[in-house]
Order: sequence, then structure tokens, then C-alpha cells
Amino acid sequence: MTGTSIGSTAAPTEVERPETHEVAAPELPWLVIVWNDPINLMSYVTYVFQKLFGYSRGKAHKLMLDVHYKGRAVVSSGPKERAELDVARLHQHGLWATMERSG
Amino acid sequence: MSFRRRIRPSRGGGYEVRLSAEERTLLTVLPAHLVSLLEDVGETAPGDLPDALRRLLPPAYTTDPDAERAYVSMTRQDLVEHHRESLETMSVTAKATWLDDEQLVAWLAALNDLRLALGSMLGVTEDELEPPMGDAHRAEWTAYMYLGGLQSEVIDILELTLPDPVRGVDDLVPEDHWGEPPGGLRWDGTPMPRDP
Repeated sequence: MTGTSIGSTAAPTEVERPETHEVAAPELPWLVIVWNDPINLMSYVTYVFQKLFGYSRGKAHKLMLDVHYKGRAVVSSGPKERAELDVARLHQHGLWATMERSG
Repeated sequence: MSFRRRIRPSRGGGYEVRLSAEERTLLTVLPAHLVSLLEDVGETAPGDLPDALRRLLPPAYTTDPDAERAYVSMTRQDLVEHHRESLETMSVTAKATWLDDEQLVAWLAALNDLRLALGSMLGVTEDELEPPMGDAHRAEWTAYMYLGGLQSEVIDILELTLPDPVRGVDDLVPEDHWGEPPGGLRWDGTPMPRDP
């Protein structure tokens, strides 16, 4: 609005917009981690992984065993908001979940 | 050991519940008590909560206090509400002889919450699955064991109601980048249990 004299009819100059620079480099995804604990039943943890993430029974069982024997397992990953949502849903189900940036 | 299912699918839908009067009293009183403990938690940081509540309101970030505060402020109210709803549902339906699907799902959540609260109070560990001899908290231990048995039954039933797996999501889980068992400390600073 400023600096343009009334009556100027100059055609707007075309702005160069190199398409290749439009997409910013993707951020590193966040990892959602479930930690082992002595209280939650193994069958319950498997059930929760199936219910919340839609994993097959086999995959959910393997993740549960990783949690149990390795002490922790990555159960999902994604952008920060997505990871926070997953952590909150796991907390609602009583699992020990935290999140951290991958890499 | 003879084993009678205490909860089972009912022919016309929903679930039949066969429990003794003592069990029903326990399932009325315990959740109501836990609800009362949850009343004043506000946005107390997970590390400053009493033992019984620590596992119900765990931290999301362990190395970034600012992010953790933001997480608590964003999610705490919903999380407390979620626990409260399940516990209250159990408390008011503990005398019922029939539950619908939603109520049984609430029972599962409430049973887990009660075990988390009791287990944390008792300091349950991997290798200590029975009350220590002469333990002063024998009643709490008995309740803890009882709730675990009942929860197992509910899981057996609700497992059958899970929707089909979502195609393709199994492969989206990133590989475990730690490899070997980490050992060391848990998120709350306690040592990892060693495999027996």
C-alpha cells in the first residue's frame, strides 16, 4: 500500500519461485518409547499395542517382549504432535511412555 | 485348581458378572478411594506426586523440564478425567450382574489403574511377586493379586473384541536403535531389574 503512486499501471513483476525450495527439509521424527515396569501384565501391554496402533497380534507381542526383556521399545514415531498424542494415549492406558527425538 | 470364569460374554450381548459380595465391596471401595486421591493433583510434576499416583500420571519428557511442564499443562486434566471416569464407572457398577461393552472396557482401565496405584505403593518389583513374609501390607498385597487375576480374565474377553489389524502399520515401527538390553536406569532413576 505504500510507495505506489496512484495511476501506476505497471504490471506486477513475476516473482521467481523456484519450486525445489518450497519444501523445507523434514524434521527428524520423534520416537515414542514404552518402558518396562513390574506391574503391567504382559497380556495387557500386548492388548494395548493392538488397540491403540492397530498392530497385528504378532507385532504387538514382539514389541511387548522387547519392552519386557530389553527394558524398552520404540512403539511408534512421527512428528512431535503425533508422538505427543501417542504418549498421551499410552498414559491413559497406564503404560510408561516417553518421547525423544530420533538420531 | 478349579477355575470358574467370573466374567463371561452373555448370550444376548454384554457380559455376565458373577462375583461374591466381598469382591463387589472391594470393587466399590477401592476405585472410589483412588478417585479421591486424584482430586487435588492439579499440575503437580510427576516426580512430586505420591507413590500411589506416580504411575497414573507419568512424565512424557525425561530430559527436558520445559517440554515436560508444557506436556503436563496440555494433557493433565484430560488424563485425570480419563482415570476418574473409568474408576467411577467401576465403583457404581460393582454390584451389577451384567455389564455392557463400554462398562467392561472401563473395568479393564480401572483394574489396571488400581494395580498401578497399589503396586507402586507396595514397591512391587520384577522378582517380588508375592508378599514378603510377615509384611504389614498383607491386605494390600491380597487385593493386588486378586485384581491381577480379575484383570487377566477381562483381557481374555476383550482381546476377542479388538478390530482387525490395520494393514501395513506393523512395518512403520522404526527398528530398535539401541540393540542390546540397555541396563542402567529407568526413566524414574530406579535401576533396571536384572533378568533372573
